[in-house]
Amino acid sequence: MISISRLQKRFNVSDGVVAAIRSLDLEIAEGELFVIVGASGSGKTTLLRCIAGLETPDAGEIRIAGKVVSSDNPPTWIPPQQRKLGMVFQSYAVWPHLTVCENIALPLAEGSQRIPRREVAQRVQEALRLVQLEEQSDRPATLLSGGQQQRVALARAIAVNSRIVLMDEPLSNLDARLREEVRGKIRELAKQLGSTVLYVTHDQIEAMAIADKIALMQAGELLQVGAPFEIYHKPTCADVAEFFGSVNWLDAQVVEAGVADSPLGKLQIESSSKVGDKVLLGFRPECLSLSDSGANCSNSFQAKIGSSTFLGDQFIYTVIVNERQLFGKNRTIPQSPDGTALCRVSPSDIMVFPSRSKNGG
Amino acid sequence: MRQTSLRFRLLGEKGQTSSALLSLALVPMATILVLVTVMFWVSIQKGAVGTPSAIYTLNNYSEVFSDPFVLRVAANTVIFTITATLVALLFGLPIAWLAERSNVPGKTLIYAIMTLGLLIPGIYTAMGWTLIAHPRIGILNRWLVDLFNLNEAPINIATPIGMGFVQGLSLSALAFILTAQMFRAMNPTLEEAARVHGMGYGKILWRVTLPLARPGILAAVIYILTIGIATFDIPAILGLGNRVYMLSTFIYLKVHPQGAGLPEYGITGVVGAFMIIVAGLLTLWYSQVLRQGHRFEVVTGKGYKPALVPLGRWSIAAWCFIGGYTLISKLLPLLLIAYAALTPYFVPPSLAMMRQLSLSHFYGMDWELVLRGLTNTAILVTVVPLAVLLLGFSISWLIVRSRSRARYALEFGAFLPHALPEVILAIGALLLSLFVFGTSIPLYGSVWLIAIVYVVARLAFATRALNGSLLQIHRELEEAAFVAGLSTFRTAWRVLLPLIRPTLFSVWIWSALLVYRELTVAVFLAVHDNITLPAVIWSYWYSGSINKASAVTLLMTLVLAPLILAAWCFGRRSQVSAQ
Ligand SMILES: Nc1ncnc2c1ncn2[C@@H]1O[C@H](COP(=O)(O)OP(=O)(O)O)[C@@H](O)[C@H]1O
Ligand SMILES: [Mg+2]
Repeated sequence: MISISRLQKRFNVSDGVVAAIRSLDLEIAEGELFVIVGASGSGKTTLLRCIAGLETPDAGEIRIAGKVVSSDNPPTWIPPQQRKLGMVFQSYAVWPHLTVCENIALPLAEGSQRIPRREVAQRVQEALRLVQLEEQSDRPATLLSGGQQQRVALARAIAVNSRIVLMDEPLSNLDARLREEVRGKIRELAKQLGSTVLYVTHDQIEAMAIADKIALMQAGELLQVGAPFEIYHKPTCADVAEFFGSVNWLDAQVVEAGVADSPLGKLQIESSSKVGDKVLLGFRPECLSLSDSGANCSNSFQAKIGSSTFLGDQFIYTVIVNERQLFGKNRTIPQSPDGTALCRVSPSDIMVFPSRSKNGG
Repeated sequence: MRQTSLRFRLLGEKGQTSSALLSLALVPMATILVLVTVMFWVSIQKGAVGTPSAIYTLNNYSEVFSDPFVLRVAANTVIFTITATLVALLFGLPIAWLAERSNVPGKTLIYAIMTLGLLIPGIYTAMGWTLIAHPRIGILNRWLVDLFNLNEAPINIATPIGMGFVQGLSLSALAFILTAQMFRAMNPTLEEAARVHGMGYGKILWRVTLPLARPGILAAVIYILTIGIATFDIPAILGLGNRVYMLSTFIYLKVHPQGAGLPEYGITGVVGAFMIIVAGLLTLWYSQVLRQGHRFEVVTGKGYKPALVPLGRWSIAAWCFIGGYTLISKLLPLLLIAYAALTPYFVPPSLAMMRQLSLSHFYGMDWELVLRGLTNTAILVTVVPLAVLLLGFSISWLIVRSRSRARYALEFGAFLPHALPEVILAIGALLLSLFVFGTSIPLYGSVWLIAIVYVVARLAFATRALNGSLLQIHRELEEAAFVAGLSTFRTAWRVLLPLIRPTLFSVWIWSALLVYRELTVAVFLAVHDNITLPAVIWSYWYSGSINKASAVTLLMTLVLAPLILAAWCFGRRSQVSAQ
């Protein structure tokens, strides 16, 4: 539905040039809820604005629904008005001088689509029903709460075009409790309408909760694209692994096929690294399991129990193995009379990357 | 599907539409460049300007700068301008301090008096002060002569100092606005620190407040100097009849010679070019001072509230000062104009005269002329503010939203008219219409020529106000409109303009009022068909019909009053202060 190739965008700033997007390729299929996630300043908004036509790319090509909307060869440019996209802005951009209903009707009646009056009213009602704002229809938009304004913005976007919707951090101005509720609603709505949604956020939990597919963006490039489960459990590089959750990092060396020597001792790994390779091993805190029985299974080691923090649904605790501190996550605190416990991490839970100067701790 | 090259877009992301905006925005800048160029071009010609028989030479320059009369005129102008600046500060600065930094009661009234003071035409003050202190007819002089049995009038308002005094009264409203802004922006904690460390209010004012205010005051001084040096209306009303000339009135004399003399356009061009250079240098200095002022600007947060100096019984003295100022600068002149409009001939008021008050001057005035003036003024008041809004909005929108470097050029272009005095614009337009357009574009003597100059002259103020208010509007509000399919025009019309309506209104009404009262440009460019109402007043006054001039003035004021009231009500809401 949206396909991007070799996209580049630089900004001239007072002290030089910022490369906001460096040669980026992206393919979004129809009906997909595609999330771009990345730290602040990584270029997500710029990418979205290039697609919407609010920025002119320096190079590359963007196609929407098969049609080239922006390209350097041959030079092509279609202004935002004619790209027919629904878009939800970070600030919502709800027009403050209009009522809820007028906010949605204005682009329909006076935008490039020029929809006849009678149909406009119908579509406004439909959009309001979908976001459950029928009651507020005639109120001035500024009198609504943040969550309601967000829904007005959403209604406006799907009224303009529910086929393709762009959203730039649509939840970042809501409070935490509301965010979880709304993100569920957005997903539900997108699936109900069959929309292709490109959704930008800096919050990895939000990304995983809502996405069909996630792309992680860093410094103007996409590090990895994949389904949430895949990107969480099979990251292609250490940066991706770390972005989606904390990791216990270990420098190790492969000593024989499928076995690496680490600060915790010999560990079995599932990797095809050659013997002698230096590797970086990582496993997530929740993969550290405590076994109180049989010391004879593989990848287990005796650890000293350290501090713990109660988070409500679970505990974060530290254990110390051979002077190395590891983080674990569990529903119960490990307890034992002598302050030690047997820990285990299964070979399939250990992520293996080529070595770099990264230290666990 | 439109396809345009990525490379040929000049400004920003909006493609073709922004180039339409751009051309609109470049019109005023081009106009000004043309006016200035014409001025220099004419200044190097002798003989029939613009014809093949014209001789190109620098003789005009040597002629002007070696003429002792011109040197005296220049000296007059210097004395006049300095006096005007001092008087403006003498009233404006203390009243600004009172309004911003003391607990004097009735601040709204102070603001009303001073802001509306900007709108009371300088010619009113000048006419009023002629009636007060003219050596022959001024009532003050007549009373003093009678009282002390003097042989001649003790006060002469028709001197550079006297005229400077009147000009200063008229400019003190501006001095107030400029310095009040500065006092407001000053960080009060610096004064509080002095207080905590044991300094008294007087000491603080002298040792802390005023030194901190110095860059701001200097900037105000330069600003007022720039205006004073080229001002025409007050020196014309007070001085032309008495043969006391400033540079501006000297130019007028060269363009509209009395008796059988021929216009000397070359000389006009030289003096005009000289004034452009002086005004340019002053403006440069002004921006320099502003920049330095910013450097040690003591930044204020929103939360700061200045500690107001308690005046106690001094409030009474403060209000006497403010009241006295209002009386001599506004009330007394207006009162005397009204009196002159109703008396058969002008002599000091007495019981006997009161019995002779009548409307005879209203019946006796040339109504055909007055109505022509009224019609032209009505046209200008309708058209000019709208054009100012249209151009000002286009320029501001580009300046505020564009990321291209071209926006600096635009900003500069919008600031240019601010550096050029109205006299210069007027002469430039006159020369342009006479010698460049000639008969091919018949603008000379047309009201549209005046309209163009007015639009250009008002643009600097309009763009400044609109820039400020567009900056307040979140960029995404208009981007949402673009993405949702609204054209640039509709986005402006349905989204932006409604959001900045208060500013639009106040720019509109200020432009309308300033056009309504404008004399300089009108006098230079008015011929017969395109005379404006203020120019009618001027022609009566210049030909010695003081009472008729006063009668027309009174008429004009009656129309002005409700408009001024509206400006005040809306101006307060949108917080736009005129320049
Ligand atoms: N209009 C602009 N002018 C200059 N630099 C910009 C502009 N917009 C974005 N940038 C820069 O581009 C980079 C990416 O910004 P952005 O796309 O907003 O990141 P994100 O949305 O991921 O936080 C940042 O370094 C930012 O400073
Ligand atoms: Mg962003």
